[in-house]
This record gives sequence, structure tokens and C-alpha cells, in this order.
Amino acid sequence: MRRGSLLILGNGGAAISAAFSARASGYEGAIHLVSDFEGPAFNPVLAPYFLKGLIPWERCFPFGPGFYDSHDIKCHLGAAVESLDAVGREVVLADGRRLAYDKCLVATGASPVIPPVPGLAGSRRAFILRTADSAKRLNEVIRSAGRILVLGASFVGLKVAEVLVKRGIRVTLLDVASQVLPRSANPESAAMIQKLFETHGLDVRLGCAMDGMEGVDEGVVCHFSNHVIEEADLVMVCTGVRPNIDFVDRALVRIDQAILVDEHMETNVPGLYASGDASQGINLLTGRHEWLGTWENARLQGRIAGANMAGKDSRYPGSTPQNIGPFFDWTYAQLGNVHPDGGSVTPRIFGNPTKGGHLALYFQEDVLVGANLINCSRLAGILRKAIIQRKPWAKSLERSPTVEGIERALWRASDDLRGPALKRLFVLPA
Amino acid sequence: MSQFAFSFDAARCSGCMACIVACQDQCDPTAEEQVAFRHVAKLESGAYPSARIDHFSLSCQHCGDAPCVAACPTAAISRRAEDGVVLVDRDLCVGCHSCELACPFGAPKFQEDGRMAKCDLCHVRREYGLKPACVLVCPSGALDAGPIEELSSRKAQRASVKILKSLIAFSSADK
Repeated sequence: MRRGSLLILGNGGAAISAAFSARASGYEGAIHLVSDFEGPAFNPVLAPYFLKGLIPWERCFPFGPGFYDSHDIKCHLGAAVESLDAVGREVVLADGRRLAYDKCLVATGASPVIPPVPGLAGSRRAFILRTADSAKRLNEVIRSAGRILVLGASFVGLKVAEVLVKRGIRVTLLDVASQVLPRSANPESAAMIQKLFETHGLDVRLGCAMDGMEGVDEGVVCHFSNHVIEEADLVMVCTGVRPNIDFVDRALVRIDQAILVDEHMETNVPGLYASGDASQGINLLTGRHEWLGTWENARLQGRIAGANMAGKDSRYPGSTPQNIGPFFDWTYAQLGNVHPDGGSVTPRIFGNPTKGGHLALYFQEDVLVGANLINCSRLAGILRKAIIQRKPWAKSLERSPTVEGIERALWRASDDLRGPALKRLFVLPA
Repeated sequence: MSQFAFSFDAARCSGCMACIVACQDQCDPTAEEQVAFRHVAKLESGAYPSARIDHFSLSCQHCGDAPCVAACPTAAISRRAEDGVVLVDRDLCVGCHSCELACPFGAPKFQEDGRMAKCDLCHVRREYGLKPACVLVCPSGALDAGPIEELSSRKAQRASVKILKSLIAFSSADK
């Protein structure tokens, strides 16, 4: 491999977007891609839909197997990265191969964290859901499972719990926090989601830490505080993720929770870029570096990195904390910061999920900073815009507004539809 | 490629909602479907005596760099090369609502089957030489659609006619 080539580490949304964008920016040199996975780019967002039986296995690979050839990308699949010499611009693979590069993108994503509970790590009955292999494995083992403990009432934990219930499994959902969705929901909205899961037959236990786990012949026995003991066939661990960046030299490359990048997606080491879950970019709302892993973020960051690696000057304004998705027949969304600290935070919480929708809006000095929506996600995009624009529209809300009233107020406050700002908002046809 | 787009003249829109009805009539796959791909936003501003109401008829804007395309986890949404129209392949949609969060115009709509559907700029009608349904019915000519270069030249023409008319009115009042 000669100098002058681009090296992409990883094979997910950020990696593929970067490769695509480098080619679209006119880069004609060699692009090498390294991934420990043998197949095409897998999208973990789609795993629950596959497990639910909504989509066939091949559809979990949104870019398809033909992408690499059609974009002239040299793949090194099934190869793990051993080390990265960011100054000497060389990567060593686990099998000893060395790849020199001109510019390198770290887009290796993230992996689930297994909490340090005795007996949990390394257990044959503890499962995760992230990679293609883990999704396939889980799909097999749940065929014969009758009872599963899901650790972590995060977005992923709830998605997994929903899938398992739909496949006829008895599920107990546990979290140390005092509410479901501890990071993304306010307590009121969380209580409604919890109720939804309970009406579908889930056993939800909050404020509950696991002290230990032991494997027995036909399953596991889990120990909780207050001498509570639970038996299950297996345990799903959904307690968060950490970036796959162990091969990056922390003495050289600035790392906080993940690799710190500037608006060009470049690290502090020239020629080394990072995107997606492996990177920590700017939060558009706070201006601070924050680790915000979403599919959209990965794709946009990858695109910026790819263009810059191809010699363009492309900047990413930043990402916003957000999540959206269906739970059973409900739709839940989180945008911005629903746990704002600092003074003068006014929550406005109203509506009913089954009667037109529920909203929790968080205002700071009349400016919308965060929101939770249940069953009125049609407002999600306009609310997100209002959060990003920091528009002070709390005053235009009625005292006890309906969802329609908020929709009207939002459009009323959209005076940018009238002025030249419209042109900035409409991403004008290229 | 020439981008095909809507144009909208707020000064002409009276908020009659005919575009919404025409859109529903054209695009609803079933009579039960309640979702319209177009909606009319009412903007109030100022206070008496200089209060003002504007109406904006909005649907998918077929953005050049559409945020929904990047947000879609299944690559169901794409921008067509020949005319820049953003289309959704409903067979690929899993109903994750990611596009709904990405779009600042509220364009993605979710139908009874849980999948996304949106304005396709009536590309089938256009293949047969017809205008999009909403443009056809707009009684005040506020909505228009066409290749983007043509739209801006039409807009400039209308503006110059307006100026001419006001000049004529001014000179005839002079006499």
C-alpha cells in the first residue's frame, strides 16, 4: 500500500458515508477499509426490526454488498486493528499486516459495556445486541428461551424487551435508575412508557442493582439487593456502550469519552479523523464536546470527514441529542436536553398519549431546550428546529394548550418562513 | 439534471386549503387514509392596527441535501438523479420515524400501516404531462411547480408585471 491513500477503520454508517463522500468529492486515489466483520456494513438500528420479523436478514445491510466494488474500495475484512501509529501514519492489523496511509478515519463504532457484576462477564448466558453476529446469535437463542432478564431500561433495553415480549417470552426489565429511559426521558413521560410496557405484560423493576449471577444447568440465577433472587434462561445486557478505540494512543490523540474531533472531524493529530460512535464532536446546543451516537450523526459526520480527507473544506455545525422510535403501537421521541441544569428551567408537561399525544417541553428563559413526545411525533421535526434556533416562543403558548395548539404556536413562531432566513432553512436544491 | 421544485407566492395564498384536498384526492391510497402530504400553516404577526395573517402551503420541499435521506437507517429515502425529487421506497420503510425527526417541515407522514409516505411531486402525473394536483387546483396561482431555473424566471417576470401595473395605475391617476 503506497502513500497517498485513504484508510477507513470500521464498516458502519460513518465509514460507508466517508468512503462515498470521498469519491463524490472527486478523490480518485486508493481507499482501503478495515473491518473485523466479514460482511457488508451492518446497521444496528435495524436489528430489533429483524428480530421482530419485520425485515429479512439481508435488509439489515442498507448499503448492500455491491457498494465496495462500485466505489472502488479495497476491503480488508475480518481484520482487527492492533495498533495505530498516528505520527508515522501506519496501522498494524492483528494478523501482522501493516497499512501505511496518508489520511485515516477512525469509524470503528462502539460496543456494549458489560457491568462489573460477579458472574456476568464471560457468562455463556449473557447476551448483547449490537453487531450482526450478536443479532444473529440472539435470534437463535431466543427461539428456545421462556424467560429473559433485560438489564438496562435504556432505549436499546426497551427495544429489546419489546421484541422479546412480541416473541412470547416472559421479560423482566431491570435498571438501577428510578425510571425507564433515565438519560432520555423526563420522569412523567418515562412513567407513561413504563405503564405501556407493563400493560404488555412486562415486569419492570427500577432502582434495582444486580449483585451477582451464577449459571445453573438450565439457565441463570441472579441475585439482587434485599435478597431478591430471580431465575431466567438468559440475560440481555443493555447497559450502555463504549467506543471501540482501544488501539488509539491516548498519549497522542485527545480522547475524552471518545476521540475528540473538531468541526472538520479531524483529531488533534493532522491526518487522523474520527466519526460516528468512535468520535466525540460538538453538541450544537451547548457548544461543548459531547458523545452523541446516532445513525444520522454517524452518516453526517462520516460524510464531512470523507470530503475533508479528499481535500475539501467541509464543516459540521454539530449534532443534537435526539432519539425517536416506536414502542409497541406508540411513538416516543426525545430531542435536546430533557435534564437541563442551571437556573430558570420551566417544564411544561401536558396531554395524554392515548388522546392526541403527550408532550413535555423544557424551557430555559423562554427558549425551548428539550422535549419528550409520545404519540405526537409529527411535531418532532419542527420542535427540533425550534430548539436549534433557540427561539423564545414559550410566551406564544396558551396556558393549557392542546397538541394542535402547540402545532399552531410553532408555525406562528416560524416567521423565518417569511424572511430571507427561509433560504437558509430550506436546504436549497443543489 | 434540472431540479424540479415547487414555488410558492405567499402574497397570493388566501389559505383556502384547496391544495390539501387535491393532494388527499390524488395521493390517498385508500378512502380511509386521513393523512395529507400538504398542509397550510397560518402565520399571525403584528398587532392591531397593523396585524397581518399569512398562509404558507407546505409539503416536502425536495431539499437538495435532504436531511431525511441521511437519517433513514434503511436507505428507503433517496433523491432521484433525473429531477432531484426525494422519493421513499415504502417497501423498505420499517416505520422508525427517524425522518420525522430530521425534517424541519413536518413533511414525512405516517400512514395506517405504520410506514412513511410523503409528497412525490406527483411524478406519475408529470410523466403524463400533467401538473401536480395541488398546483392544478390552486385558484390564486400561489403554487407552481417546474424546473427551478424556469420558476425563478417566471417569478421575476411576475414581479416586473406587478411593477409595470403599478406604474400604469400611477400614470393614469395622474391624468
